[in-house]
Amino acid sequence: MPNDDKRTSETRHPHLRFSRRGLLVGVAVGSAGAAVPYATAQPAHGDAEDRIDLARQHAFYGAAEQAGIRTLPQRHIFYMTFDLTSPQRRDLQVLLARWSGAIAQLMKGQTIGQVEPDRSSAAGFDTGEALALDPASLTVTVGLGPNVFTDTYGLAGQRPALLRALEQLPSDALKPEFTGGDLSLQACADDPQVAYHAVRDLARIAKETGTAATRWTVMGFGRASAGKGQATPRNLLGFKDGTRNIREDADFEKFVWVKDGPAWQRHGSYQIVRKIQMHIENWDTDRVSDQNNVIGRHKISGAPLTGTEEFDAPDFHKVKSDGSPVIPDTAHIRLAAFENNDGVRILRRSYNYTEGINQFGFLDAGLLFIAYQNDPAHFETLQRKLGAADALNEYISHIGSAIFFVPPAPLEGSYIAESMFA
Amino acid sequence: MQRPSPCRILIAATGLTALFVLAPGAFAHDSAPAPIANGASQVKITLTGDNGGTCILDHTIAKAGPVTFSVTNKTATAITEIELQSNNRILGEKENLAPGLPTVSFTVTLGGGAYQIYCPGAAQETQTFTVTGQAAAAATGGTAAILADGTKGYAHYVDGVVDGMVTAVNRLKVAIDAGDLAKAQAEYPQARLFYERIESDVEGFVLPGFKATNNAGNLDYLVDMRASNLDPKVGWHGFHAIERDLFRDHMIGSNTRTLAAELQANVGRLDKLVKTLEYKPEDLANGAADLLEEVQSSKITGEEESFSHYDLVDFAANIEGAQQAFAFLAPGLEKIDPDLTKRVQMQFAAVTTLLDGYRDPTVPGGFRLYTAELKASDATKLSRSIQSLQEPLSKIAEKVATAH
Repeated sequence: MPNDDKRTSETRHPHLRFSRRGLLVGVAVGSAGAAVPYATAQPAHGDAEDRIDLARQHAFYGAAEQAGIRTLPQRHIFYMTFDLTSPQRRDLQVLLARWSGAIAQLMKGQTIGQVEPDRSSAAGFDTGEALALDPASLTVTVGLGPNVFTDTYGLAGQRPALLRALEQLPSDALKPEFTGGDLSLQACADDPQVAYHAVRDLARIAKETGTAATRWTVMGFGRASAGKGQATPRNLLGFKDGTRNIREDADFEKFVWVKDGPAWQRHGSYQIVRKIQMHIENWDTDRVSDQNNVIGRHKISGAPLTGTEEFDAPDFHKVKSDGSPVIPDTAHIRLAAFENNDGVRILRRSYNYTEGINQFGFLDAGLLFIAYQNDPAHFETLQRKLGAADALNEYISHIGSAIFFVPPAPLEGSYIAESMFA
Repeated sequence: MQRPSPCRILIAATGLTALFVLAPGAFAHDSAPAPIANGASQVKITLTGDNGGTCILDHTIAKAGPVTFSVTNKTATAITEIELQSNNRILGEKENLAPGLPTVSFTVTLGGGAYQIYCPGAAQETQTFTVTGQAAAAATGGTAAILADGTKGYAHYVDGVVDGMVTAVNRLKVAIDAGDLAKAQAEYPQARLFYERIESDVEGFVLPGFKATNNAGNLDYLVDMRASNLDPKVGWHGFHAIERDLFRDHMIGSNTRTLAAELQANVGRLDKLVKTLEYKPEDLANGAADLLEEVQSSKITGEEESFSHYDLVDFAANIEGAQQAFAFLAPGLEKIDPDLTKRVQMQFAAVTTLLDGYRDPTVPGGFRLYTAELKASDATKLSRSIQSLQEPLSKIAEKVATAH
């Protein structure tokens, strides 16, 4: 169940309010072409307005999952992982408690402490760049990496049953500088400065308490996934991403939330993050028919090659007159489809990213792929297949990877994962 | 009794007491002094998220003597610390308060008088706490006196470093005057490290008769300016101009000799100046923080010693200088905030351990050269270690500045 009534009511009854700044951003999506049917023709899934209400806020505390998983994807992300730098159990407790209190403040659009302290010798507590900015639907989601659950912290016995390092997967080109971490913060908001401020100030707490140091980070823009009622957005390949994403509560229950184990793990989920570099200059020069074959969909409409509308079910058996499949054997959607993977599905909550220009003069960009599932093996099943045979592999590289257990939200007066220390 | 702020109604979260804090002149809600247990008055402070953050005392009066404050953060996400103050001086405090963490306590011995409980982030940040009975015999004075001793010790340390610098610069000059390039190259890092230990104390020195904006009279400019910030009107002087001749051009010319003579004269001026300096405790804390900033801005980047690549020598010297300043504050800081003292000590130890891995006795200065390859592979690791030290260290100045 969602942990926040307000969130669901806003989800079900989207309404518009003016923010303090009176700023309301409306963006019409799907207007790129009219020749092919597109999402706005689909009231069940489309949100023709796709408006941002910067005054909207989500609750941090709750009795079920953390915000930032089922929450409708916001426009921007600032994602960071950390290494633990203290071997003290108490330091880890203090950090998780300090982070929890601070996140509760930040999600309300408030500072986490004095910006300009009374004493002139004092350093500011909150860095101040989000002053007077609205909450902008900020969610900060905390993940715990495999090293948390070790004897160092007396937590070996609390390790979630399925938390482990991911196996090496075909086509992995992982770089150490974008891989791993003991803690993760996924900050998503409709205002990038709000997301940045949140992680910046939480990283200060980590350093100030001596508990954790920054490891790697990605700042992403343009959500590349849709929640229920949102139009399907596009990744940097120019294709819609997430047409067949998980949307329904029953699927969240079946594929996303952890249902067993100790009470403190239920409504948790496994977060898998992959930094996927896209060789976009090459992609951009590829003929569109090939692009469509690589993905298995039409670029503008998002319809499968066997259909005419985005949400048409792909027909993987349909063949052309010469007997070859309409959706090629190596097409991305064929390899990833639940029909071809024993029904396995994962929740994707990805964002586009750019990091400027690389040392060879190419645009350095890609997809910060974030998936939530109740068993990391589900991701491995899909990626084993994709990494081995996906036609898209010519244009992408998985250069970063990490896995975390995301515990449920704390109740007010408690903090993230408090019960595991009991 | 004096009340600091207008009427405000606070509801005790324990449910035992409804606590009314009244306007000046009104009688107190709860005239009973805090109960005594284990030889100390017991005061409970509860933090809640009500009204945007509320700090509730179960008693606002205690008898003179030891007082134990037990602090519990129930639901206040905006409040992470609490202090007991007397006229803006911190007598005791607790940090890292967050909902869900266990109750923490601190005990202080108080004489009669008015004190303040300061809860930064609460809707009402300051409340009066009254102690009845005899005023403390003498001002507690202890911590301030210990810190003052520390600053004297630090001044002595700085004098010693500058004496060492005078000697090392003389040796560098002798090698340069003799035209011995290899010897001069070996002496260079030996002289540098003295300057880097104390550079935060000598920034801003202006020679008599010069304006603060004129670099021709700025000692730090004349001694330590790098290529990146040259003032064309004044030209290049000091260590790094010599570094350029010795390590980039591999030659000693008449200009090198002039530069060495100038440097010797300016270091002699520094030597006289620093002996007149007195330091406040916060000067030590701010100086240590400045040295860490120097590490981040010019050593990690390899900009400081761009020709000789002795950046790690300077790095280690900056750390040593910061650690010395901190060590002279530690006995006093320990009394104000033992947790913070320990955190900073741990982070210094971590940095020192990390630096030890770069020692190489075969290289002048005792550390590996900071080459482009080493920078590419290790800069992040080094910078991260300093960041973990910077954040806790930045908390020290305000503590020692207000010590009683």
